[in-house]
This record gives sequence, structure tokens and C-alpha cells, in this order.
Amino acid sequence: MAKKKCVAMLLAGGQGSRLHSLTSNLAKPAVPFGGKYRIIDFTLSNCTNSGIDTVGVLTQYQPLVLNSYIGIGSAWDLDRKNGGVTVLPPYSESKEMRWYTGTACAIYQNLNYLIQYDPEYVLILSGDHIYKMNYELMLDFHIARDADATISVIEVPWDEASRFGILNTDSDMKVVEFDEKPANPKNNLASMGIYIFKWSVLKGYLEKDAVLPESSHDFGKDILPTLLSDQKKLFAYPFSGYWKDVGTVRSLWEANMDLLDDKCGLDLFDYTWRIYSVNPNQPPQFISNDALVNDSLINEGCVIEGEIEKSVLFQGVKVEKGAYIKESVIMPDAVIGKNVFIEKAIVPSEMVIPDGTIIRALPDAEDDIVLVTEDMLQTL
Amino acid sequence: MDRKLLGVIDATTYQKGLEDLIQHRSLAAVPFGGRYRLIDFVLSNMVNSGIKSVAIFPKNQYRSLMDHLGSGKDWDLNRKRDGLFFFPAPAEEKEITSFNHFAANKDYFDRSNQQYALISNCFTVCSMNFEPILDWHIKSGCDITEIRKDGRSLHMFLMKKSLLVELFETREQTGYTCMRDVVTDINSPYRQCHYEFKGYAVMIDSITTYFNESMKLLNPSIWKELFLKNQPVYTKVKDEPPTRYFTGATVKNSVIANGCLIEGTVENSIISRAVKIGKGTVIKNSIIMQKCQIGENCVLDSVVLDKDVKVNDGTMMYGTKDLPYVVRKGTVQGALMNS
Repeated sequence: MAKKKCVAMLLAGGQGSRLHSLTSNLAKPAVPFGGKYRIIDFTLSNCTNSGIDTVGVLTQYQPLVLNSYIGIGSAWDLDRKNGGVTVLPPYSESKEMRWYTGTACAIYQNLNYLIQYDPEYVLILSGDHIYKMNYELMLDFHIARDADATISVIEVPWDEASRFGILNTDSDMKVVEFDEKPANPKNNLASMGIYIFKWSVLKGYLEKDAVLPESSHDFGKDILPTLLSDQKKLFAYPFSGYWKDVGTVRSLWEANMDLLDDKCGLDLFDYTWRIYSVNPNQPPQFISNDALVNDSLINEGCVIEGEIEKSVLFQGVKVEKGAYIKESVIMPDAVIGKNVFIEKAIVPSEMVIPDGTIIRALPDAEDDIVLVTEDMLQTL
Repeated sequence: MDRKLLGVIDATTYQKGLEDLIQHRSLAAVPFGGRYRLIDFVLSNMVNSGIKSVAIFPKNQYRSLMDHLGSGKDWDLNRKRDGLFFFPAPAEEKEITSFNHFAANKDYFDRSNQQYALISNCFTVCSMNFEPILDWHIKSGCDITEIRKDGRSLHMFLMKKSLLVELFETREQTGYTCMRDVVTDINSPYRQCHYEFKGYAVMIDSITTYFNESMKLLNPSIWKELFLKNQPVYTKVKDEPPTRYFTGATVKNSVIANGCLIEGTVENSIISRAVKIGKGTVIKNSIIMQKCQIGENCVLDSVVLDKDVKVNDGTMMYGTKDLPYVVRKGTVQGALMNS
């Protein structure tokens, strides 16, 4: 294998249990987003757009959909003779079968993948976030400071800082302290879970950590704090722009709605930073005489005969006459029957909503966003 | 290898009636249906009928066609064995005939092991499965089967590959220049049959047919027949985002491709990918090809905009159903020019 300057390791094993039925048979990075994409498309497209052509994707939970979606990586131009995308599931060794028990553990078990490329730098990514980022700029920052590790950070509102892993830095952005979910935050720079390491440093620390019985083998909890206490050079790379963890039904819904807000900072129509995905190859959308479509994103293969307002519709969705959809996300190939009313809801893939159904949150509901389930439809 | 078909697409045709749209491109590459090119229909039909080897013989302006087809990946024809073959006309000959063109590439026919060949034009829009037609051809015992629609030839022919090779090898003695010459020769020694195709099929040979047949896509029964779920029409994939409808947009009875930004009104129209339609603009009964940018407060009725046309704010353009106003690729249309 030819030597690579930087190899990316994308952690895509997340279960995403707070997305409930949406992740009952697929991993969180494979959850549909934005009318045509899956969550992982953003990270994979960022890699390609940043000139990173070697990406290991670490899968574990419900990998079937994700594995077949990634394929040989051609959708992201990552089908390369040297490098490209490689799916890295947990595997069995001669002595034992080992699952990935933590983020660092997952990388440790795939040291051989990294060794074959002998990179200078390793970029650790997570497949759970929606954002556009040029990793090359972060790498330049890392190299210019001769850092051992660089952590990408984003400014979060002060009143929300206690929900994040906060990094306290000096004026040169050198990390002086990690503050996990601080009650009284001293700073509002939150870790985005994106790290660049010097390969030699990473390898040494992963090997040391792997034999510690008390370690949870996690980058945020174990590896980075150890580096800091060993006086290694850790820097915080300030990122500004749209960044969102879509870990809950509400945040997934919000991120979809953000696409309809031209000021949100996430522009899918920016052709200099295209988001690639596996294209479904369906005919163009058909908008009938009875349809009314306002302030929405609609993908190919849809047949719209009803009224759509401020909603995101994925490919192949059918909306029949008299149906009214407001502030909702309708996932691929769902069928919305006649005179259905849907407000602030997520309708999962291939779901058929019977004629006349009304879907909206109950007045006393904890959250006003409804994730429609088969059980719900059965009890109607 | 008994009943296998070789696909041969004769893309040498030049239709004078489509002049405005084929100045810069092969007829095969004329955009159709919002996201397709004419050749996509025949090529996808071939692939969906189990044809593994397709040869394309283009003549004029084939840059856009080559760019569209690439390695054949989007049709699953980038194969180690068989796949997509592209045979541009020999440059030195000005008036090359189909049979000369085939003969110049005889190696292709010799090397492939399919026993039968389907020769098709590149400008018929239809969803056709060739497997039952081949069965019919074999059963009938005919030398040549011509596929027809309402008694009119669709310029699609089935025969043994060996007969096709014989036909172009003996072209100098017989004087035949293409399949059409063979089937219209009343003294032809070959037994001919006609297969009548029952579904929707139309040859796009003039701007009026182009316009009217495009509009037929708005008819749900034709739409459903052309775009069957299990017989998809493949095309070169573009990574366009979904189409964005803004507040105040009004779209009725239209086919819209991905990547559009729509603020105005669209009725009875076909809009290709990545088209921008400004506020206050009304587009009716029109075909807008990819990446056109239409400003604010324009009125377009019965217009065909070829790709990359920019229409300035306040421009009015009208054609008629029989004679749509056709605007050539890449031009800028100003308010003063056509008001």
C-alpha cells in the first residue's frame, strides 16, 4: 500500500437508541435525512471534498443497511485503487470474539488497517452529525502547531454548555482542561467529536490504553485526558458553521426543518461543497393539478396530489388528494392516503397512512413532534 | 448462447426538424422528460431485457453523448465481459452509411457470442421488453422482424447476428446502406415479419413531436407506463439536492426534476434539473432544460428553453402549441429582445 498523509476513521457503529423505531433495524448513520440523504453522507462527502481518499468506516450495530449503502464507496467517489472506503466490522481473533466496547477500542482493533497505509495523521470522525467541514483546513492548523492531537470545537450558547464536553483553552487555543458536562462552564467551546492525531502518538496511546482494565476505551474519557496529563500538545480547532447532532427525534426533525431556513448556514445547493449520496434513480417528481406546495423540499419519484407546507419529502413518496402535510418529514416511499392530516411528524420509510388519518401530538404530550409508528396506526 | 441478443444502437441519424436542439449534440443526447436523454429509453429497455452487450454507433456531435454515457456504469454496462461499446464514425469519410459504419467495426460482431441482434434507432421513447419479441421472432421463423407501432416502423429490427454481418458485408453488391434499405426493398430475398407493439412508443423526429410528446408525460397513464418500477429508465446520475419550493410558489400539473429552486408559478410544464425560477414569473405549457435561470416577473408560454439559457427579469416569450418558441443552448434572453 502506498503511504498516505492522512487516513480518516469514521465511527459508524452507533445505535441511536433515542431515535426509537427509526433505528430498530438500521444504524444511526444510515437514518434518512434531508429529503435524499442518509446522515453518514455528510461526513463521507466532507472527506471527499477535503481531499481525503482513504476512509475506514467502523460498523457494529445493525450494519446491513449501512454496509450495502456504502458499498464500494462509488457514490462519494471513494472507490479507489489505492485507499478508498473500507468497512471495518468487529471480528474474531484466534482467542476471542471482541465487540467494539468504546471509540478508542474500535480504532485499536483496526490498527492493522492504519499500519498498512502508514499515515502521518489520523482523522477520527463520527457518522452521527450533520455539518459541512473542510478537514484539510483543520489538518493545516494541526500541522502548523505541530500538535499531538487537535480537537475540533464549536461555540455553543452559554446556557447549553453544560450539556457538552467543554474544552478550556489558553489564548493560543492550546487545551488546558477538559470539562465534561460542567455544571458551571468556564468556556463555551464544545468538542465536536472530531480529532486529528499524529499517527505515532495515537498508536502508542491506544496500545497503552488497551491493556488498562479500568479504562472505558473512549477518546473523550480516556485517551485525550491521558495525553493532556502527559503534557502532550493538544489544540482546539475552532469551527464555525452549521453543526448538529441528530440523536433524538426532535433534533432530527429540527435539522430537517433547518434546511427550509435560508439563514441556517447549511446549504445543500452549494455546488462547491456538494453532498453526495446513493442516487435512487427515480423519475422526476409529478405535481398534480390538485396539489399545493409551499416552502418545502421534495425529492424525485414523488407524486403529489395534496397540500404540502414547510415539509421535507424523500424519494418515492405518494401524497393523495385532500391530504395536508405541515412541518413534517416524510421518509422514502411512504404513502399518505386521501384526506390525511399530518402536523409536526416524522413518517418513517415505506409507511402507509390510511385515508382520513389525523396525526399530531396530543395536547398533553411531552414533545410536540410525533414519530409515527406501526403500533400507533394499529390502535387508530 | 442460444437466445441471447446483441444490442446495436444506430445513433447516426440527423433530424432536420430538430435542428435547434441538435446543433451542439447528437440526437441521442437530446434532453427529454426532465432528467433523461433520448437514448436512455432504448438503452434502458435493452438492459431491462437482459441485453449484456450494447454497441453505439454515433456520427455527429457525439461529445455530449459520450459525456452522458461514460463507461456505461449508470446502466450497469461497465463490465469485464461484454458491456457498452462506443464506435465513433471513421473521421475521413464524410457521408458514412450505417452499414459502412458497422463494417468498419466488424471485429465487434465477430467477437461477441450472442446469436441474435437488435438494431435500434436512438430516438424512440417507449418502455419495451425485447425478450418476448425475440421469442416471437424465433417462433415466426422470419429472417427479419421489424417492430412497428400502429403499422408504422419504429426503426427497430431483430435478426440473427450472422444475417446482419452478411447484410453489411455484401453492401457493395446489394447497394443497401442501412436496415431501412433492406426492409423497403420489395425484391429483398429475406423473409420479413412485422411485430406490432401495443404500448406507448413514439419517435422524436421534429420539434412539434418533441413538444407534444413531452407534454404527454403529464398524462398519468403514459407516465406510469414509461416509468414502471420494475423497468426503470436509467440515466447519468447527477448529485442534485431535492427541489426547493419557496413560499409563494405555485406548481400545477408539472413534472419537476431535482435541484430546482422555484419561487414563481409553473403550470403544465416539464422542468429539468437545477432550474431557477424567480418570483412573480409564470411558466406555462413549456419545456425548460437543465440549469436554465429564469429571472423575476417573466412570462413564458409554449416555450422550449435549451439548457443553460438565462432569461432576464421581466422577459415575455410566447410560442404556440404547434410552433413552440425554441431558445438555443446557453443564450441570454433579455426583456427588450422579445417584448
